[in-house]
Amino acid sequence: MSELVKLVEESATRLFKGFSESDTHDGMEAGVFPTELWADFLADGWLRTTLTEENDGAGLGLEGGYVLMRLAGYYATPLPIMEPLLSLYILSHADLPITDELFIPVVLDNNPSNDQAVSLSGVPWARDAAGLVVVFTVNGNTHVNTVRREHYSVETAQNMAGEPRDNVELSVNPLTGAVRLNGGITAAQVSSWLALGNAVMTAGALQRVLERTVEYATERSQFGRQIGKFQAVQQQLAVQAELTSASNCAVEAAIGHIGTPQEWELIACAKITTAEAAGYSAKTAHAVHAAIGFTHEYPLQLSTRRLWSWRDEYGNEHEWSIRLGDYCLNLESDGLWPWLTTQTGE
Amino acid sequence: MQSLNFEPVLTGKKEAALRTDVRRFLANQGTFPPGEVIDSWSVCNPEFSRLLAAEGWLGMTWPTEYGGGGRSYLERYVVIEELLAAGAPVGAHWVADRQSGPLLLRFGTEEQRQYFLPKIIRGECFFAIGMSEANSGSDLASIKTRAERVEGGWLVNGSKIWTSWAHVCQQMITLCRTEPPSDNRHAGLSQFIINLDHEGITMNPIKNMAGEEHFNEIFFDNVFVPNTRVIGEINQGWQQVMAELAFERSGPERFLSSYQLLEAAIHILREKGLQQHASAIIGQFTARLMVLRQMSISVANQLQQGKLPVNEASVVKDLGTSFEQELPDALRLVLSTEARLDAKQGVERLLSDAILKAPSFSLRGGTREILRGIIARGLGLR
Repeated sequence: MSELVKLVEESATRLFKGFSESDTHDGMEAGVFPTELWADFLADGWLRTTLTEENDGAGLGLEGGYVLMRLAGYYATPLPIMEPLLSLYILSHADLPITDELFIPVVLDNNPSNDQAVSLSGVPWARDAAGLVVVFTVNGNTHVNTVRREHYSVETAQNMAGEPRDNVELSVNPLTGAVRLNGGITAAQVSSWLALGNAVMTAGALQRVLERTVEYATERSQFGRQIGKFQAVQQQLAVQAELTSASNCAVEAAIGHIGTPQEWELIACAKITTAEAAGYSAKTAHAVHAAIGFTHEYPLQLSTRRLWSWRDEYGNEHEWSIRLGDYCLNLESDGLWPWLTTQTGE
Repeated sequence: MQSLNFEPVLTGKKEAALRTDVRRFLANQGTFPPGEVIDSWSVCNPEFSRLLAAEGWLGMTWPTEYGGGGRSYLERYVVIEELLAAGAPVGAHWVADRQSGPLLLRFGTEEQRQYFLPKIIRGECFFAIGMSEANSGSDLASIKTRAERVEGGWLVNGSKIWTSWAHVCQQMITLCRTEPPSDNRHAGLSQFIINLDHEGITMNPIKNMAGEEHFNEIFFDNVFVPNTRVIGEINQGWQQVMAELAFERSGPERFLSSYQLLEAAIHILREKGLQQHASAIIGQFTARLMVLRQMSISVANQLQQGKLPVNEASVVKDLGTSFEQELPDALRLVLSTEARLDAKQGVERLLSDAILKAPSFSLRGGTREILRGIIARGLGLR
């Protein structure tokens, strides 16, 4: 991690910590957009983290953006963070205006046509957004367009953490007025970046859940001693720590490979690793916390419900394993080891 | 709670050039016998070790003044992972190169370094590990083998067990009790270099369930060890052993023991057109392997920086040995074949070897439960 990125982490932590201490989670889950938090996020200029200085940004690129996403995951921030950060980054690579508004990136599987309206499911925060940043491929070229809120209808839906994941239907064809995405960025790459953002947030949440669980195990006593003194508990927490550290390593490695030929594969590994860890971590955390962790009041659920939701979003670990496995099985003969060992920037 | 550090490391051009050299060397060796490629770092082939020595690949990281390569841990990493992935028989020198030499560099006397290191580097001196005893496995501090002070040195009595290749090795670093057990269980232990040809030593081979005979039980009957063969300080053996573990637990041998099976499985799956059936498992295990490799390289880099990441090494070993144990279990479900103990070649033989050898993967070098206990201590739970 570069010094600059460490600095970002330090200064952004104050803001995100404040977010997590607010009572806005219940409001968000009831459908109230956290206007004040969003205003704070904007006021500090974090929205433009990934943009270059000529775009009035902080010049920190995707790497800087992922630092914020990790904090959002760690603090279970009840605010869209990944989506607007990636939206602005995409817009800055196209001849489209950049504004300090909430935009949500979506990648279309098929070319948009005039015959059938584009409908999308599970779009984060679509109801509250100023618009969508729609990315798609036409004749091998990547296009992007913005579709503002008045040009799509929303059927609201939530993931298990109560985060908005809406069903959307566009009333315009995004092809009209679309522009080319510059810098050789492909639609598949944007999909990967979203998946990586999801993995990074998951890694943040895994770290928080581990810390909470270890802390609880040293505070709670039964049979006259801390429950963390029981080997049965220690062994489970050790595995949780192992999977959490593997997740951290996997996402850091993937971030380090953005823009390299191995970008997609490393992101696949990060997504598989974090999604697998999510299940074990949530299960173990609840086992250690017992009944108190099962209550709405106790904050563990803010993280574990996110882990259960996020591991499925942008493709679950099984789907990514199939994709990665297909890739490996289709490498040239004896190609696995050379492939595994070229991931190091050699 | 101490946080675990696995900052990813990128290797560079120097490592890439070395990798090419190792691959060229391996290509000239031809294929290794199918019965020896699973867990190939338990396969002892002194001739092969001397070929590696001739290439300068033993004692690679050690100072040039002892004949070492003066190279980085990352360079050593590249060499050993290439050898392991190819199933090369690296067992003869493995312990000496991985931990005995580094231990002497850390705690040994100048005379010991000058005497042993060049021999190890030339592939002429192999070391065995003298830690476990019949009644002391995971509970290493309970060992009974004792060394008593006599004129000019120490007299060792007792026995060691599960010492791989002791009948081939020339030396064994032996942990002995030099003071009676006290409240501090870790006090009063010391490490000695014992010449295995010495009078008073007897060895019995122990055949394992996979049919191999690399284990031994060794008995010491009034074996004299001169003062010059004490490692480090008397009664500081426990601390020295713990330092050894960061080297022992984090390397690629902790997840590559069954790697050859993965390669063979991919071949067969393609041949039989079973890709679709197996892709999820191949993808899942490949992802685990990729991440383990990054974690292990990260630890190698920390060792290079002079750190002793004992907790991180435990994490790599526990995740790694789980990986190499679970791999044959997962592959057998998609290979549509049965393991064959006596097959001369093919995936049936590799499957048999991997399944039969796998139980030892998470026992040697600290059991799963011990490692998790160390990690739990790092979390502040103990």
